[in-house]
Amino acid sequence: MSNEQSIADAETPREHSQGSSASRSGFAEETSIDISGLELTYGDGTEAVSGVDLTVGDGEFFGFLGPNGAGKTTVIKVLATLLSPTAGEVRVNGFDVRTEPRKIRESIGYMAQETSIDPELTAEENIRFACEAYGVPRGDRDERTAELLDLVDLEAVADKRSEEFSGGMKKRLDAATALVHRPPLVFLDEPTTGLDPTARNRLWEYFQRINEQGTTIFLTTQYLEEADTLCERLAVILDGGIVADGSPADLKQEVGGDVLDIELGDGPEARARAATIAREFDDFDAATVEETETGISVTAKAARQSGTDLLVALRDAGLIVTGFNVRAPTLDDVFLAITGERVDTDDGAAIMEESP
Amino acid sequence: MSTPTESGTTDREVARSANTFTGDVWVNFKRWSLKAVRNPFVLVVSLAQPFIFLVLFTEVFGNVAGGAVSEGLGPGVDYTTFLVPAIAIQVALASAVTSGIGLVNDIENGMFEKVLVSPMNRTAVFIGKTLAEVFRIALQIAIILGLGVLLGAEITTGVVGAVGIMAVGILFSFWFIAFSNMLAVLTRDQESTIIGANLLQFPLLFLSSAFLPLEVLPNWIQLFARINPVTYGVDAARAIMLDEDVMTVIEVTAFDGALDTIVPAVAVLAGLGLVFGAGAVYLLSRASSSDVR
Repeated sequence: MSNEQSIADAETPREHSQGSSASRSGFAEETSIDISGLELTYGDGTEAVSGVDLTVGDGEFFGFLGPNGAGKTTVIKVLATLLSPTAGEVRVNGFDVRTEPRKIRESIGYMAQETSIDPELTAEENIRFACEAYGVPRGDRDERTAELLDLVDLEAVADKRSEEFSGGMKKRLDAATALVHRPPLVFLDEPTTGLDPTARNRLWEYFQRINEQGTTIFLTTQYLEEADTLCERLAVILDGGIVADGSPADLKQEVGGDVLDIELGDGPEARARAATIAREFDDFDAATVEETETGISVTAKAARQSGTDLLVALRDAGLIVTGFNVRAPTLDDVFLAITGERVDTDDGAAIMEESP
Repeated sequence: MSTPTESGTTDREVARSANTFTGDVWVNFKRWSLKAVRNPFVLVVSLAQPFIFLVLFTEVFGNVAGGAVSEGLGPGVDYTTFLVPAIAIQVALASAVTSGIGLVNDIENGMFEKVLVSPMNRTAVFIGKTLAEVFRIALQIAIILGLGVLLGAEITTGVVGAVGIMAVGILFSFWFIAFSNMLAVLTRDQESTIIGANLLQFPLLFLSSAFLPLEVLPNWIQLFARINPVTYGVDAARAIMLDEDVMTVIEVTAFDGALDTIVPAVAVLAGLGLVFGAGAVYLLSRASSSDVR
């Protein structure tokens, strides 16, 4: 693309947003994030993101999932104006990332994957510095600092240097500093990685609380349980592109029914035979059958209704069933179905054949 | 999903931050000054070490070196008076190293990125940080001058001279502050920055006019001293201290007395500061830009 072209592209949206600044609030109620055709290629030629389209509505609790290296952090860094997109149009809170980065910085909170606090400053000083960095009016700073210390439960250690804090306390402090200016949109890049369950639960409550107050949250996580508990909507990124988008319930539905786990008494041979029987089983339309460590796992719409029939068929074939369990699919199954499909080409081909 | 009310949206518009350039400078100046007070490393390395040098050198070498000083600068200059300007420059050098270390720490603990996503003006951020370091250097030189006077040194030009020496120290520190920041951005590693900057410190100090007059030193040191910034810093500070033309590396006679040293030395230091400063600004703006690399 020529330089002139890119400048022309950049100018148009800026004029648009200035012209419509009065009506911006109306626009922002619709979308906090608007990405179309985002591409990002690193200097060494690595295509981290290729052709991402994504919209996140105002007030949504949005989860962004994907295996390590899929491009989650790259997308979040583009949205937080830390990386410039190679191609595509990206708007955050109605502002263009290329031409209005400072307006975006003023209107977002960003919590990086690595805990980012100044260890030489106390908890209170860290929050106060953030207040000043984000231009919180002088008169509001005391109140805002006290309020945030209370919100993340750090009042007791307000005057202690943060280098002495535990991992969970540091994360909470980091989260507090991202919220000093009451941003309408907050980015949380794996906020609970490496925390113990208690600390994680506390952060969850806290994120839910600010979301209830109207803050849009864009969260990436490795914990599917976390996404399931918190998020209203999820998108899954794989190899730099979005491969699934919807509410946790929608995505689970897409897995193709309930999951029937069957444990078998015999070795791998029995498992292979059982898998064949399950695949050919008439009642299961478009079933996905997988061999597991201890037996087989069948995903099918009729798994609940016709599961016992399959167990009978297995017994008739002379296989010993030592245990079974029917359950609704978890996000783990969703994730496996989506990401496994392309990562393992062999299995993927099999799944593709059976689920048109 | 929660739907923000009309008034809620208006609140957001009002709550939008309004940073000013000077405000951003002040915020960063405060943060780095606070960190300097908190960090024992900064105080010990940049103040205690030069102080120990001052006491040890005057006590151990004072009698012996006194002869050499008389040989170089004529009789009547006592070694403590000769040494104090050099220690002032040493303070500037040692303190300037901590600038790069601070930047590397910021990169390592995520504060660098945190500052980049904030709406603060990036130039103001670095100006604030550098001002904090320069302010500290001025204070430290003042302390060293005070101690020097207590130990028997004499500042011929009085209080004005003391302020002048602080100004020379600040001007001198710019190239090394820039240099340590360049090391920080290039290595992004605390140890490499400390080692890189500290390894240079002692050769630079000893291969200059800092501890003995150049006349009594071997030829190769005299040659190196010509291209050593420390020589220019020390000579300028010493010229103010003694109110004499003490420079031997460049002979200027266009002015009068001490100015024959001060003017060329200040010109050299300003030039160095600009060259290294430009390099540091280039590397820092590259490190903080959002361009994909």
